[in-house]
Amino acid sequence: MSILEMTGVSKSFDGNRVLKGVDFSVEQGEIHALLGENGAGKSTLLNILAGVIPRDGGDVHFDGTHYPHATIAQMEKAGVAFVHQELNVVNDLTVSENIFFNHELTYPLGLLRRTEMVAETRKLFERLGVDMDPTRKVGELKTSQKQLLEICRALHAEAKLMILDEPTTALGNDEIEHLFSILRQLKSEGRSFIFVSHKMPEVFQIADTYTVLRNGELISSGAVADATPFSITCDMVGEQYADEDVYRARELGPVVLELDRLTSESFRDVSLTLRRGEVVALTGLAGSGASELMQALFGAIPLLDGEIRAHGKPASGSIRAAMRGGIGMLPTNRKENSVIPDVSVLENLYLAEHSLSARRQWIHNAREIAQYENLRDALNIRTQGPGVAINSLSGGNQQKVFLARWLNTDADILLLDNPTQGVDVGAKEEIYGLILELATAGKTVVINTLEIPEIQKVSDRCVVLYAGDVVAVLDHDQINERDVMLYSTNAMNAAKGD
Amino acid sequence: MEAKTGNKVWRAVSSLWREHSYIFVFIVILIVYAVTIQLNGKSFTSGHISSILSSQNTVIVGTMAIGMALVIITGQIDLSIGSALVLCSGVTIVVFNMTDNILLTVLAALGSGLLLGAVNGVLAAYAKIPPFIVTLGTMLIYRSLALWAVREIPAEISGSSSSQFAMKSGSASYEFLRMAFGTGSLRIAGFSIPYVSILFLLCVALFVVIAGNTKYGKAVYAVGSNDRAARLAGVNVDRIKASVFMVTGLLVGVASIIQACKVGNITPASSGRSYEMYAIAAVVLGGIAMAGGRGNMAGVLFGALSYSAIDFIIVSIPALSADIQDTFQGLVLILVILVQTAGPVVKERFTSRRRRSRPAAAAAAGTTG
Repeated sequence: MSILEMTGVSKSFDGNRVLKGVDFSVEQGEIHALLGENGAGKSTLLNILAGVIPRDGGDVHFDGTHYPHATIAQMEKAGVAFVHQELNVVNDLTVSENIFFNHELTYPLGLLRRTEMVAETRKLFERLGVDMDPTRKVGELKTSQKQLLEICRALHAEAKLMILDEPTTALGNDEIEHLFSILRQLKSEGRSFIFVSHKMPEVFQIADTYTVLRNGELISSGAVADATPFSITCDMVGEQYADEDVYRARELGPVVLELDRLTSESFRDVSLTLRRGEVVALTGLAGSGASELMQALFGAIPLLDGEIRAHGKPASGSIRAAMRGGIGMLPTNRKENSVIPDVSVLENLYLAEHSLSARRQWIHNAREIAQYENLRDALNIRTQGPGVAINSLSGGNQQKVFLARWLNTDADILLLDNPTQGVDVGAKEEIYGLILELATAGKTVVINTLEIPEIQKVSDRCVVLYAGDVVAVLDHDQINERDVMLYSTNAMNAAKGD
Repeated sequence: MEAKTGNKVWRAVSSLWREHSYIFVFIVILIVYAVTIQLNGKSFTSGHISSILSSQNTVIVGTMAIGMALVIITGQIDLSIGSALVLCSGVTIVVFNMTDNILLTVLAALGSGLLLGAVNGVLAAYAKIPPFIVTLGTMLIYRSLALWAVREIPAEISGSSSSQFAMKSGSASYEFLRMAFGTGSLRIAGFSIPYVSILFLLCVALFVVIAGNTKYGKAVYAVGSNDRAARLAGVNVDRIKASVFMVTGLLVGVASIIQACKVGNITPASSGRSYEMYAIAAVVLGGIAMAGGRGNMAGVLFGALSYSAIDFIIVSIPALSADIQDTFQGLVLILVILVQTAGPVVKERFTSRRRRSRPAAAAAAGTTG
C-alpha cells in the first residue's frame, strides 16, 4: 500500500518551471532514495510535500487522505517529518527538552513534568538502541548525535514518513552504520523514509527503491536491486548537451602555483601544480572538501600540513600572504562573503586594492574612477555609475564587480568559488567567456563548481574530490558529465566493489 | 517652466533630507531655541550660537563623539569614554602640576588616552570579548582608578582637596593653557569664536577627510557593513576594530585637555557621568546607523550641536528646572529616530496603497472612456 502518492506535481518560480508534472510515490515500510543533480527539483518536491511551499498543480495523497492545500502544520500532524540537512536542534536545551520541544508535558499553569519527559525519552532511546543521556545539553553532543536526536524527535512525534535530506554528510563510517541499522529497524516496524543522498554506495546499501529527477521531470523509478550505480548516474545526468563553443586549447606557460601535500580538517594530501594560463576545475559534492581546498588556497581556512607556493615563493598561512603571492578569490555566497552592502560600487571594487596598497593612504578619486571605467568596459559591467549602491546591480553584474576587485589588484591566480551561483543563464555564458579570456591573457584560474557542463566548457583539467581525497584528475578530453558524476559519488568504487 | 525648477529644488532638498537629515534636525532645534529666546523678550544673537558652539556638551562630548562614531560605524560600542575622560584629565592635571610644561601636559593627555583606548581595542578585537562587555568593565575600572588616585595623591600634586584634581594657577603656562583651551576666542568681523570650538571643528574636519578620502576610512565602513566580506578582500578586520578604539582614546585625550583647561578641574566622583550616553546620542542624532557601516562623519558635528542646543532651550525656559533636562533630551532623541525609522515605513504604506488603487482607477477610467 502506498503511504504517499504525489501525482502531476508542478511548480514554477518567476515563470521558471522547476517541476513539470512529477509523479512520486512511497510504499509503506520502504526506504526510497530520491536522486538528482543540483537543481533537478528534489528540494522543491520535498518542500511541497512538507507543506513549506504551495504547489501550482497536481495532487498529494498521504496515508489515504487528500491534501489540496497542504500546510506545514497539517502535514506534521498527518505524520510527515522533515529532517533537514542543517540541524534544527536547540543547543541550549537538554536532549529530552528537544524531543518534547513544543509538545511539552505540563502540569496546570504550564509547569513542566520534567521527570516524566526524561523517562519517556529514555524509553524511546532504549527501543532504538540510541546511547544518549536525556539530561545532557544538546550543545555538548557530536553532530552525529544531533542527527540521531532529530530522527528520534520525528519518531516521537509519531512520524509515519521521514524525509532525510543528506543525513550522512556530517557522519563518520561507524556512525553511518549505526544510523542505517536504526533505519532498518524502523523500516521493519512499518515506517517509511525518503532518503536524499549524493553518495551512490549508500543508496545501494540502504535504499529499497529509487526515483531520479532531472530538470524537474521524472526520469526513472524502480527497485534499487534492478539498477546499477552506473545506470542511475546516467539517468541523473542525461544527454550530453554541453556545447564546446567557448573552449579553445591554449599554449600553457610555466608553473605558477604549487600545492604540496596540503592537508586540513576537510581534505588530505592534495598535491597539484598549475601553469600560467591554465583553467583548473575543482569539483565534488557537499562534504568532498573541494570548497575548503579553495578557501585554504586563499589562506581563509588554516592548513594542518603542507605548503602553497605561488611564483616559487611561499604563499600559505594567511589571506594577506596569498594576496601578496598574486592570488585572489571570488568566494561563494556572494551576499555573505563579497557584498559590502552599505557602500558604493566603486568602494566595493577598490576594497582589495586598498588593503594591498595601504602604505599610501590618500585616495585619488579621479584616478579610481578612470580605472573603474576601464574595468567596467573590459568586463561589460552594467551599472548606473560608480557611486550607486552595489545592491542596485543584478547578480551577474555584482559578480563581475567582485571579479574586477581582483583584476584591479593585478592578481594573476584567480580562485572562483561557484562563480555562476545565483546568476541567470545569459550572465553565466558571459562569465564562461570571461574566464577563458582571462586565461588567454595569462591568468591562472581555479574554479570550484558542482555544475559539470560548466567544467566541460572552461577547464583544461578537472580535479574530483570525494570525502577529502582527490579521486581523479581528468584532462579536458576526459571530462564528461557521466564520469565526473561517477567519481564524485564514488560510484566508480562502488561498482568495482560489486 | 516654473514647475520644473520647483521640482528640481524639491528633488535636491529631498535628497539632502535623505542623506543629511541631521542638518534639518539641527535647524529645527535652533529655530525652537530662537523662538523661546524671543518669547522671553530677548533677541537671538550670534552670541547664542557661539555659546552653543563652545559649551561643554559640544566641545568635550562632541570631540569624544567623533571617536564614538568611528567605533559605531565598525559595529561596536564604547561605554568607557566618560570614565576615560576623568582618568585622562586626572593624569593631565597631575602632569601639569608636576612639570608646569605645556608640551609634556599635552603629550600626557594624548598618551594616556591612547593607552586606555588600546586596552579596549585589544580586548575587543583580539581577545574577541564583546565590546559592550569590555568597555562596561573598563568604564568601572577607569573611574575607580581616578577616584582612588585622587585620594592617594598628595594635595600639592593633585592641586586640590582629596576629591578633585585641579590645575595649579599662577604660572605663565597656566595662563596660556587656560586661554588657548579654555576661555580664549578668535575675533573675526565682530563674531567671536572660542579656540576650543575651532579645535573641535578641526577635529571634525580631519575625520570627515579620513573617513571619506583615505583607505583606512573606507576599510572602517567595510568592516562595519560586512566584516566577513571585508576579511576576504584582505582587510585586517581585527586591526581596524582595535584601531577605532585607539583613535577614540586619542580624542578622549584631546577632550581631557579641554576639560582640564576650560573647567580647570575635574571631580572623579561626579564629572563626566553619562558622557558615553551623550556621545552615543550625538552620534545617533548625527544620522549614523547603530548597526554599523553607514553614516557621515559630518553628522557628528550637527548631532553634538543639536544635543547641546536642547540644553540651552531648557535653561532658557525659566519655568523648567535643570533636572528635567535629560527627559527632554531623551524625548527628542526618540522622536528624531522615530521620524527617521517610521518615516520610510509610512511612506511605503502610502505608496503601496496608491499603487494598489491605481489599477482600479485605470479600470474605472477605461469604462468611462
